[in-house]
Amino acid sequence: MKVKHVKLFLVSVSLFFGALFLASCTPSQAQASKPGALLWGENCVRCHNAPSPSAFSDSQWEVVGKHMRIRASLTADEVDKIVEFLKMAN
Amino acid sequence: MRKVLLILVLCTAMLSAQEKPGESRFLLRGYAHSGVEVRGDETTFVGGSFNPIFLWRQSDKLLFEAELEVEYENGETLIGLEYANMSYIINDYATLRLGKFLLPFGTFAAKLHPAWINRLSSKPLGFGHDGVGPARDLGVELRGGIPLGEAKMTYSVYMINGPALNDGTNPNVEPEEAGMLLYDLGEDNNNNKAIGGRVSFLPLSNSSMEIGFSGLYGKVGSVESKYEDVAALLYAVDFSYVSKVSFLSGVVDIKAQLNGVRVDDASYFNVEDSSNYSFSNQSSAYYVQMSYRPVNMSTDFLNSLEFVGRYSELSFPEGALWTSDQTQYAFGLNYWVDWRTVVKLSYQFADTGAHESEGEEGEASNDAIFLHWAFGF
Repeated sequence: MKVKHVKLFLVSVSLFFGALFLASCTPSQAQASKPGALLWGENCVRCHNAPSPSAFSDSQWEVVGKHMRIRASLTADEVDKIVEFLKMAN
Repeated sequence: MRKVLLILVLCTAMLSAQEKPGESRFLLRGYAHSGVEVRGDETTFVGGSFNPIFLWRQSDKLLFEAELEVEYENGETLIGLEYANMSYIINDYATLRLGKFLLPFGTFAAKLHPAWINRLSSKPLGFGHDGVGPARDLGVELRGGIPLGEAKMTYSVYMINGPALNDGTNPNVEPEEAGMLLYDLGEDNNNNKAIGGRVSFLPLSNSSMEIGFSGLYGKVGSVESKYEDVAALLYAVDFSYVSKVSFLSGVVDIKAQLNGVRVDDASYFNVEDSSNYSFSNQSSAYYVQMSYRPVNMSTDFLNSLEFVGRYSELSFPEGALWTSDQTQYAFGLNYWVDWRTVVKLSYQFADTGAHESEGEEGEASNDAIFLHWAFGF
């Protein structure tokens, strides 16, 4: 019974600090104000060459963006800005 | 006249209805590669493979992805399922994935192996299909990216069927490789699920550097066998740095990864002398790769070139029948036709250490020259 309580306590503490950590996770102002073109140049090249905006249509970029958001663990804000840039530049 | 106008209006309405985008989107992507290889006295065309990737965006929160690998080898066309999974985006920082997926165990198998992304025609030692560490499996995963002020982190936690131990009792699997882990078998060999995860940090504000740590733990022995309590711990550390270097007028890309596997001690049947034997079951593999592309030169030709070098090492357990220590050097010169089309010329040579000391004869030449082309689509 005692071990059970200790485990419960540890899980609760972990959840509390986990929630605190997530709540404090925000990008700095400089990061948040980065334009899509800059994010496109910085993030795509981590694995492959930065794609040409003309490679896909607007609706195709939406699928590619969703796919890359999951595969590259990008944040929603980063993907939205990159896709907007690619749609504007294609 | 009214009928004609009505038909025209209806046709226009139907056409405009077709043009409305809707929520669902289908996209066929993928990659293909082929080439010619020179090994010793043999010169042969190889590859002729392509990997179609099917993407289906069901809605703003749901995505399905699947990749097939279609290869032509030894006169046969082989088709394999690389992955097929569904993702549900829970919120800005968390996505749930179910199905067969590429495991975030390091980065090579999960992100860098496709022919149009891999800078060399071959894979590093220990990072192929019979390598050290898993590449894909069936299960469930929670993953995402989290901003940390100027920096960023990514995370993934997953539960999968996990690797299985080759205990030497299955005649369909090499009995002399008893103690080796088997990956991507489909069905689990026990009721225990393997738990794993990866966390990575991108400490620089331009995301140019990433350091990742991966781990996976689970029982690997078959249920109701004497190996059912045998467990394995797998770990990986990966590093990436991609940045423009002004004094080199180009982009430098450094990638590295170390994979390790530790399996609990167990006794196996020795097919060579019919005795039982055991060994310290630890394997490892690592590679370091550096490429340089002079993108700011005066001519398009020079801007399209890329120079690559890679060193990799593989070590299987000492004392096992499948012991091996190998090293490999690879050098390449690439020409990028566009951002996703590349012609790769490379030379590699390997030292198979342990085998050479045992005086094995008839080994294929370890030196090879590759001329491959690859493109993503």
